[in-house]
Amino acid sequence: MSDGGPSSGGNDRELFAARRSSRGRLELDELLPAVAVGDQQAYEAVYDQASGWVLGVVRKVLRDPAQAEEVMQEVLLEIWRTASRFDPMQGSGVAWVMTMAHRRAVDRVRSERSHTTRELRAATATIDYDEVIEAVEASLDRERVQRCLTSLTVLQRECVGLAYYSGYTYREVAELLEVPAGTVKTRMRDGLIRLRDCLGVS
Amino acid sequence: MTTSDDFEPHTLAGPFAMDAVTADERASFIGHLGDCAQCRDDVREMREATARLGIAAAVRPRPELREQTIKAALQISQLAPEIPGQAAAAAESERVADAVRRPAEAKVSVLRQLAGRIRPNKTLTMITLTAAALIIGLVGGFGLLANDMTVQLHHSQQQDHLIDTVLSARDVVMLTARVSTGGDATIVMSHREHRLVFSAHGLAALPGGQAYELWLMGPAGERPAGMLRPDPGGMAGPAVVSGLAPGDMIGLTIEPARGAAHPTSALIVVIGSHR
Repeated sequence: MSDGGPSSGGNDRELFAARRSSRGRLELDELLPAVAVGDQQAYEAVYDQASGWVLGVVRKVLRDPAQAEEVMQEVLLEIWRTASRFDPMQGSGVAWVMTMAHRRAVDRVRSERSHTTRELRAATATIDYDEVIEAVEASLDRERVQRCLTSLTVLQRECVGLAYYSGYTYREVAELLEVPAGTVKTRMRDGLIRLRDCLGVS
Repeated sequence: MTTSDDFEPHTLAGPFAMDAVTADERASFIGHLGDCAQCRDDVREMREATARLGIAAAVRPRPELREQTIKAALQISQLAPEIPGQAAAAAESERVADAVRRPAEAKVSVLRQLAGRIRPNKTLTMITLTAAALIIGLVGGFGLLANDMTVQLHHSQQQDHLIDTVLSARDVVMLTARVSTGGDATIVMSHREHRLVFSAHGLAALPGGQAYELWLMGPAGERPAGMLRPDPGGMAGPAVVSGLAPGDMIGLTIEPARGAAHPTSALIVVIGSHR
């Protein structure tokens, strides 16, 4: 952007439309500040870009399509409401949105798990990260993620998968995998760092 | 609650980045983030990676949801930009993210009714606010103050929703205290909402280069909670402070105008409940 703050003029409209592609990162970073000042066009572009990502991760964690839709909508409303809090210095727009989505899904699934009796043991200790790949659109992102996941050690992958895709705390993961909690913490960290390096994001 | 003895902040960066921590651990780690630049960088980078894990699971939402969601969003007021205590901007944004994810729940359960309906009645919100403030006022014996506060509250539409969630929380508490350098401070807080609303009147004018700074202080550590800029009449707030952790008190100091990471002068007021 060459000049000043975002406006909601026709130029922006074309700009946003033109940028609607699958690359993501830059676009959200630019769209969110416009959303923060109430730009409806920008918000629609954010919806088009991020709703599928949000729904995907939420559904993965919740495993209930109806609830997942509800939470997806909650997250999209939160994006609208709190866009002014997005700070590109603290990470990409993609990370901001996905952190919000994942956290909300995790909160929901945990409050449900605490209602039912602990079904920890019933949960599979293997990650079905292959199942993740069932999603609608083939994307480069997905292939890369899958490839990078296979570059982790088995334990790292299990730790990351159970935490991220199933919403377990590291202590629960430790219990599930029957390894010390301290080990799980480090494997999560190491796994994520390896993933980060493999994906080339930082 | 998790014991704080076995809380080793640094090692929690990985689990924290994936939300693989309990609410208590999350709050503690957020407190820690304010002091640990390395941890902030770690979390930031790991989240770029976890975001891709999420994206890899993408599915296409039903097309009907698009209009419904966008319509509903346009009826919700947005948070105004906020300059958090700069020294801990990252921690602050974590706190906002942490606190912010709860209150929308009620709102979203009415999402379906909202979509395709008229704008929610502003007056109704006001009445609710007023009623809530009055009840607190009566219970606490601060009727006048609460009324005052309600009037102030009306001025900050952007904060309506946040303030609303605090005022309508079941465990809401209102406390007032004298500021040692002049004036009175009032907080309305909810531990359930992890948030409080701070306001003050009669604050002394400060020389240029100095400003009031709010602090959250408690077992989770001491965290900057924003700068306070009184108007010429000495009125300040209402300011919403998020990230209230168990046992936290709110304090006020006079600092260099650009803010400080830790209090560098004596507290001029401390308010909090003993829980």
